[in-house]
Amino acid sequence: MYSDDTIAAISTPPGRGGIGVLRLSGPAALQIATSISRSESGGPLNKANLARFEKVTDPATGEIVDEVILTYFKTPHSYTGEDVVEISCHGSPIILERVLRMVLDRGARIAEPGEFTFRAFFNKRIDLAQAQAVRDVINAQTQYQARVAAKQLGGELSARLTPLKDTLVEIIVHLESSVEFVEDDISPEVASTLLVKLSDVTEALIEIADSFSFGRYVKEGFDLAIVGRPNVGKSSVFNRLIGSDRAIVTELPGTTRDALYESTSISGVPVRLIDTAGIRETIDRVESIGITRSRAAIADADISLVILDASLPLHREDLELLDSVPETRIIALNKSDLPNLIDERLCDDTGTHSGQLDSVVRISALTGSGFEGLTTRIFERLSGDAAAERDDIMLTDARQHAAVRKAIGQLSDARGLLEQRELEEIVLLKLRGALASLGELTGETLNDDILGQIFSTFCIGK
Amino acid sequence: MKSATLFDVIVIGAGHAGCEAAYIAARIGAATALVTLDTNSIGQMSCNPAIGGIAKGHLVREVDALGGIMGEVIDATGIQFRLLNRSRGPAVQSPRAQADRNLYRSEMRRRLSTTQNLSIIEGEVAAIKFTGTRVTGVELSDGTIIEGRSVVLTTGTFLNGLIHVGKKSFQAGRSGEPASIKLAECIRGIGFKTGRLKTGTPPRLDGRTIDYSKFERQPGDERPVPFSFKTDTIDRKQIDCFIGYTNEAVHDVIRNNLDKSPLYSGDIKGVGPRYCPSIEDKVVKFSQKLRHQIFLEPEGYQTYEVYPNGISTSMAEEVQQEFVRKIAGLENVKLLRPGYAVEYDFVDPRELFATLETKRVAGLSMQARSTAHPATKKQPARGSLRALTLRSHRLVARRLCLTGPRVISA
Repeated sequence: MYSDDTIAAISTPPGRGGIGVLRLSGPAALQIATSISRSESGGPLNKANLARFEKVTDPATGEIVDEVILTYFKTPHSYTGEDVVEISCHGSPIILERVLRMVLDRGARIAEPGEFTFRAFFNKRIDLAQAQAVRDVINAQTQYQARVAAKQLGGELSARLTPLKDTLVEIIVHLESSVEFVEDDISPEVASTLLVKLSDVTEALIEIADSFSFGRYVKEGFDLAIVGRPNVGKSSVFNRLIGSDRAIVTELPGTTRDALYESTSISGVPVRLIDTAGIRETIDRVESIGITRSRAAIADADISLVILDASLPLHREDLELLDSVPETRIIALNKSDLPNLIDERLCDDTGTHSGQLDSVVRISALTGSGFEGLTTRIFERLSGDAAAERDDIMLTDARQHAAVRKAIGQLSDARGLLEQRELEEIVLLKLRGALASLGELTGETLNDDILGQIFSTFCIGK
Repeated sequence: MKSATLFDVIVIGAGHAGCEAAYIAARIGAATALVTLDTNSIGQMSCNPAIGGIAKGHLVREVDALGGIMGEVIDATGIQFRLLNRSRGPAVQSPRAQADRNLYRSEMRRRLSTTQNLSIIEGEVAAIKFTGTRVTGVELSDGTIIEGRSVVLTTGTFLNGLIHVGKKSFQAGRSGEPASIKLAECIRGIGFKTGRLKTGTPPRLDGRTIDYSKFERQPGDERPVPFSFKTDTIDRKQIDCFIGYTNEAVHDVIRNNLDKSPLYSGDIKGVGPRYCPSIEDKVVKFSQKLRHQIFLEPEGYQTYEVYPNGISTSMAEEVQQEFVRKIAGLENVKLLRPGYAVEYDFVDPRELFATLETKRVAGLSMQARSTAHPATKKQPARGSLRALTLRSHRLVARRLCLTGPRVISA
């Protein structure tokens, strides 16, 4: 299905640059481009996938507006699936505006935001997950984000989901047929066979859904609160992690009064670092407000980084803090450049205070040693079980995750109903619901597709 | 020549859809004309004389609830009633009945001819008349003009109908009845996008030459469940149907003669509805299936004509005879009439609003077959729907529309 009208937009960002690209898509794209350009060679433009040197000329005045490179992509082999022409002008907003005005005057319409991608989706060049990935690729702020988005753009999520959807459709086809075609001589699969298939689909979906626990961090980033007693070096760690002297560092305890926020990335995952006021008992009103905020930051953070001063024995307040921070914490023994009094098991005179060796890292904010290990530890903590399969496809979008969760819920309902030998039509309601949920990711499965499958699976009709 | 009356509604064609449209329009007070090629074939069922089935049965009941006629007529003329999906929930239970073909036809004709506000006119509609983009009536082939405010087209397989039996083909709407050629030209002339569809029917068998002992008996329900909410009980004598199967010998005959099949030689251009595959289609597309089911359905009390449901075919007559006789129990069967395929014009459904009125001509509406909805048993639903929407200003429901693909099986 193709649109009747032709859309146009400046596709490069606003401002000046070496090149500015104007894109046209629709049935009149080529004709409009032809009407405003004059070729050096004089030949027609209709040869596809060939970059040509042209002069954009205002037909009204004969004035040459710009020298451009013009490329024609012939339907259906284009981004949108329609005829597309890209005009690479010099990157002047004035020139681009003028050329845009010229194509609009010749029948093109200004594109709505995202309309080129919408048309690509509409013409089935890409599916819904891929359309979303286009946005993610463009918005990526780290290499890692771009890599994850590029995989989705390549259709990996859809490739994972499609066989699951196919199996689901197959199950629906069998149940639907046994309701709809009772008079026909067909033999739909029995419930036990369908149950096995249903379990397989559900398990595979759960795996995909679980990838969101890490995927959401990749897309949205995470909050890392740096906490600890006063003067253990939180602000130095903070500065070291963001790579600049953002927080004021002194040898005086309680220098940081208010929580400080700064964005950076760790192993390609965006992170908002929060430097907090040192936690201790105090009668200073300002400091105690800061400490309250520290506690709030710990509660809200995805991960807390607890800093201990390794050159001092463990303090009662250290132990209290460790008790109050959620298990997702990472413990850093700072000041490893000084003689250390506590080791990775947090041993001191009073005993061992941590069994989790893997959550303790030895660092020195002063020299920078141990920070590589720290960031690795943070990344591992974020990715959890997904660490092993980090290169696998992952859900990064809350909407996608919600859709998969919904499908899983409907499928387990369906399984329950099927096990209780509930009527097929009731089970089908749940299965169709699950299919619709998955459709939110990859595009809809139409009733007609299911019917088509029924008629190709069974010999139906008299 | 002009007719004296200005009709509110003119219905062209008196099959399931046409009968419903005309009946309901007349019943809600519209001056209605039902134009048919032959008044004897009002309510004629060209395929098997069955009503209902899964999903279709629901529609018949909806039509009945909307004041339609077919539920009552089938209750009055049915010879075998079965409620399908009894083991399942009430939402998917569906009544199905077989009619005595002749009784159904005469009962339908009797009821329509005694319906107030309804005139039955015999003639061939040759053209739709309109002024600007508004319909004004129809012109018959003898030049008579019938004036009307709205026209409902329920032409089934008749528009440019072309019957195929083997390599033979001839113009016809159905066996023994002429096609509507001029009307088809007129429709295309208006500019409607049209296409070709194909459907088919099996040969009819002489019941006296069937060995029923080779078939499995399929009785009707002990207590027939009526279609119409107005019918209390059905006491008429119920008759049996029979179930049998094709076999590989049958399939071999078909395979060996595919070159003589218009379906596979390319003579037939129209697309067949997927619910009504011919036996040659089944054999080719499902070659792994070693047998296909056949229902032997008697066509009435007073006839020995039997409808072998499941072997619709357009193979050459002698091939039909050869393969039918390879079926266990039909070794000595006599064919009364050969099966055939019929191709006909349909109008692209995108030419219609959801009310079934055409976008090009105000007041002109079209029904199922004529708009690529080739399943006989759902046409009446569209027929009554259109009649109701035509007079919607009189109804509480201002607008009745077809909502999505609610009919999911044929």
